[in-house]
Amino acid sequence: MPGDTPGGGLVLAEVAAPTAPASRSRNVPYVSLGIITVFVLLAVLAPLLGLADPFNQSLRNRFKPPVWEEGGSWTHPLGTDRLGRDMLSRIVWGSRVSLAAGVLTVLVASAFGAAVGLVAGYYGGQVDTALMRMTDATMSFPVILLALILAVTVGPSFTNVVVAIAVILWARYARVIRGQVLTLMHLDFIAQARLAGAGAWRIITRHLFPNTLNTLVVLVTLQIGYVIIVEASLSFLGAGIPPPTPAWGSMIAEGREFVTSAWWVSMFPGLAILLVVLAFNLLGDWLRDTFDPKLRQL
Amino acid sequence: MRRLSRGVAVSLLALVLAVPAIAGQAWAQAKPDLTIALSSFSTETLDPALGGHLVKYYLSMMFDYLVGTTLDGQPSKDGGIATRWENSPDYKRWTFYLRKGVKFHNGDDVTSEDVKFSIMRNIGPRSTTGYAGPLRTLIQTIETPAPDRVVIVTKDPTLIIPTYLSRSLSTEGMVLPKKYIEQVGDDVFARKPVGSGPYKFVEQVTGSHIKLTAVDNHWRIGTPKYKNMIFRLVPEETTRLALLRRGDVDVADVSRERVKELEKESFPVHFRREESILTMWWILGPDGLPAPMKDKRVREAMNLAIDRAEVAQSVFAGKADPAAVPLGLSWSFKDIGFKVTPEMAYPYDPARAKKLLADAGFAAGFPLDVYAYQLPGLPEGKTFAEAVSGYWEKVGIKIKLVPVDYPAFRKNWVDRKTPGSVGYFNIANRDWIGTYALLEKMAYTPAKANDTVNDPEVDGMIAQVMRQTDKEKINTLMRNIYTRIRSEHSGMPIVYLHSAYATGKKLGKWNTGSVMYDLFFDELASGK
Amino acid sequence: MIRFVLSRLLQSLVALAILSVVVFILARATGDPLQLILPMSATPEDYAEARRYLGLDRPYLAQYLSFVGHAVTGDFGMSLRARRPVSELIRERLPNSLSLAAFAMSVSLAIAFPLGVLAAVKKGTGVDRAAQVIAVLGQSLPTFWVAIVLVEFVAGRLQWLPAAGNEGFSSYILPGFTLGWFVVAGMMRLLRSAMLEVLDSEYVKLARVKGVVEGKVVWVHALKNALIPVITFAGIYFAILVTTAIVVETVFAWPGIGRLAYEGISSRDFPVIQAVVLTTAAIVAVVNLGVDCLYAVIDPRIRYAR
Repeated sequence: MPGDTPGGGLVLAEVAAPTAPASRSRNVPYVSLGIITVFVLLAVLAPLLGLADPFNQSLRNRFKPPVWEEGGSWTHPLGTDRLGRDMLSRIVWGSRVSLAAGVLTVLVASAFGAAVGLVAGYYGGQVDTALMRMTDATMSFPVILLALILAVTVGPSFTNVVVAIAVILWARYARVIRGQVLTLMHLDFIAQARLAGAGAWRIITRHLFPNTLNTLVVLVTLQIGYVIIVEASLSFLGAGIPPPTPAWGSMIAEGREFVTSAWWVSMFPGLAILLVVLAFNLLGDWLRDTFDPKLRQL
Repeated sequence: MRRLSRGVAVSLLALVLAVPAIAGQAWAQAKPDLTIALSSFSTETLDPALGGHLVKYYLSMMFDYLVGTTLDGQPSKDGGIATRWENSPDYKRWTFYLRKGVKFHNGDDVTSEDVKFSIMRNIGPRSTTGYAGPLRTLIQTIETPAPDRVVIVTKDPTLIIPTYLSRSLSTEGMVLPKKYIEQVGDDVFARKPVGSGPYKFVEQVTGSHIKLTAVDNHWRIGTPKYKNMIFRLVPEETTRLALLRRGDVDVADVSRERVKELEKESFPVHFRREESILTMWWILGPDGLPAPMKDKRVREAMNLAIDRAEVAQSVFAGKADPAAVPLGLSWSFKDIGFKVTPEMAYPYDPARAKKLLADAGFAAGFPLDVYAYQLPGLPEGKTFAEAVSGYWEKVGIKIKLVPVDYPAFRKNWVDRKTPGSVGYFNIANRDWIGTYALLEKMAYTPAKANDTVNDPEVDGMIAQVMRQTDKEKINTLMRNIYTRIRSEHSGMPIVYLHSAYATGKKLGKWNTGSVMYDLFFDELASGK
Repeated sequence: MIRFVLSRLLQSLVALAILSVVVFILARATGDPLQLILPMSATPEDYAEARRYLGLDRPYLAQYLSFVGHAVTGDFGMSLRARRPVSELIRERLPNSLSLAAFAMSVSLAIAFPLGVLAAVKKGTGVDRAAQVIAVLGQSLPTFWVAIVLVEFVAGRLQWLPAAGNEGFSSYILPGFTLGWFVVAGMMRLLRSAMLEVLDSEYVKLARVKGVVEGKVVWVHALKNALIPVITFAGIYFAILVTTAIVVETVFAWPGIGRLAYEGISSRDFPVIQAVVLTTAAIVAVVNLGVDCLYAVIDPRIRYAR
């Protein structure tokens, strides 16, 4: 499984003044924004949409095809799964789980990682070295193995997925932010702030953090898709969000034996993941191009 | 200029993909080998003493047993090292007469010393085989009065010795080379095993395959039809089937749900009917069953709530038959004269189930944890657990599905940490002696950890079987045990599972037999 | 320079040491391997005996020290499930992971290179956008899904390539392609932006002014300079490929260390879990170190913080 998006193991950030970036911003990716909005709306409004119960199983109705195929009907427009549950409903309800997993994990990881990066970059010296070595140690632990160990120890759950991924993902944010901070630290306005008597907390929160925000936003956007995909792979291995909760990743994993016989069981959640991740990635690309094209490693 | 370079890149890529494709096709056609793809090798060990059930699939081709078995699991004088055996009148001395002229793969002769050594090793302290425990308690000493005679002396009179050392159960009866093992030690033996079977060990790559090569003119099957036998470990179903379709493997185990698509493509599929029983039970607490399942009505209700026919049809694609007796290993029924009458079959009656629950005081239902996990031979495990949970939800029980892997469930089961919660297993079907051995573990309170029944009456009957040497009395006792288990609803039998093995189109006749954990490749490979 | 390398080595060792404690605790938290090894009929005495035999009854500190002491010499103990030395198992299976990763890397580079360069040269056109989408697609599909689809259709239906096994080169193609697919995205994007940067530079402008053929400008002069970050990232990606191939290894029945770790976790096989995690961490550490050094050597213009 893709263990990392490009940008894993960032070694450095290119030295460049954070002046106005080249105006290479392409057209705003309206399609991506549109897709994300649709799915977020679906996720939020799911209970109000009058869909079938995503947990209601009916063995007699298993593997019903979508409405446009022979044997399909409008009661199950996208067909049913292995246990006769309505696919459309599970995809919509699944968006809640999958999106929540993606967003939550990334927020937790970025918050912690940014904090570490800011502190390490600001203080430098031994603090920096210690934190960076901890970061290295963390990054070298494979996410999947950790998730598997957690699943086997305390049982698979939504929390485990978030924890397992966030616990290792934060390291990447730490590295990138630290690199940024190092660059920023050489600039005049920091020296001026120091001269003016500003303390560490003030400098970090008022001067450094806002200037790293752009990078953070880019990273966060790019990583949401990554987390959603990792959840899918974890479900494949039995360590993801457990049944009967609908989550796109687990739905694909459950349907993978029937790629030819009941293609809709894994195709539709796969399509959902594809669209959402694609949208986040393209959005993230645009954000990066607009805010800081020097971040090409991402 | 750029178009050219792009074109070059694309053509190179196409070439890179095409050449091996063509070569691969050629390679796939000329094969004097038999390749078998399995979804699990369990412990993957090459040492019979280190057990694990599925290892029999390949070990039984590398090693000979003291006592052979027929295709339907009866002890046979043809398939094992022992050509005949007899017991003393008091059933405490069992004499085995050995075949002459059998040699190990390294040239050493097979003698009674090897038999004695093997048995002691296979039930010794290092052993983790399934039946080492009972044998250890039973066997007092082993005598070797002649190179072709072995006498096993037991502490108590017993009927079970020949069967326990036969091919029909586990690996305790496999004959190992004493001189070789004493020379090279256990660790080297586990890596480079030497046996006396029709195929000898060539190589093993853990996680990938085990390769065996034929021994010329073996007493068991003549000169084998296949030069090499390769067992491949392919856990992913789609991959296994792709290998079968492409001709890369000749035999593959198939999940029941995908049998239909293979049959549509005219691949022969062999079924081992009732290869296992899928049976559920409640985890016991320190004092037996907790409420609410302490109440017999609740147990009956939970049984009545399940639509077994629908489960068999949908979850198991019709390759299953409803089961009526908990822990009912049907391959033993004929032998002990046990008949499953129509009254024993649980009907699908959710209305009656609800009434029983109400009578027991649980009209509002109760919370219940159901473990969900996959097992070798049961890829549908999680789906099955979900399905059954659905039925129970419909009669008001509040189910919480607990997805785990089997080791985690087993821990909770034997540690009795979560009394009342439900687990299951696809117990391999077996003959009456194996059945007794299983009941002694799973239906016998003194067995402690693995007991699922906790019924003093059953305990009494099982204890009596242990000391019996009159087959008729044993049969009666076992029939009564089953009748009692069923009438007390001491478990929830679901279905008998038929297991499917698909073969390549040119493979020919193959009777997979009904021996536990053994596909009897002797038949396929036989040159006789 | 030497000081730098040494200090980083030392720090990596410290990181590994921390990791060893973490993985020691985690492995033992997974449960009791004896439940799986011993048969159903095992008595409490059998359990005690087995625990003694396998050294699992010693106090945790003793077990940890023994583990570390042996690990330093390359001895990771005996696998509880297979009863074979773990270092032997790793020695058997690590090369499979390495070779698959190498193959996957070459495939991705073969695809990413032309795509990246062309996307840069034809920036803003349909080609560029198409290349971007292809690349991003690589990160938008779960690997196991791509793997299964390939196995089902290319191996099972069309039967062009083997789904698993050791038929030499042809066995590498499907798993290698699947594994390297997501790398294409990263590499391509990297190359594209690096090329864009270089193509804008004085150096290239000078070459054009001097009358060098455009093709040569792009494919020789520009590419040469754009390769620097790409090469260093290739190293990092390689380490990622080796250490995260578990899904590909599962689908294609590839006997690598990813699958070994999975089997270890499933059977609660502490020595195996510990060994695989430490080995993969060591690989990543070594590669990171190499990349850092390479970067420092190749391009002293780039400042990096100590």
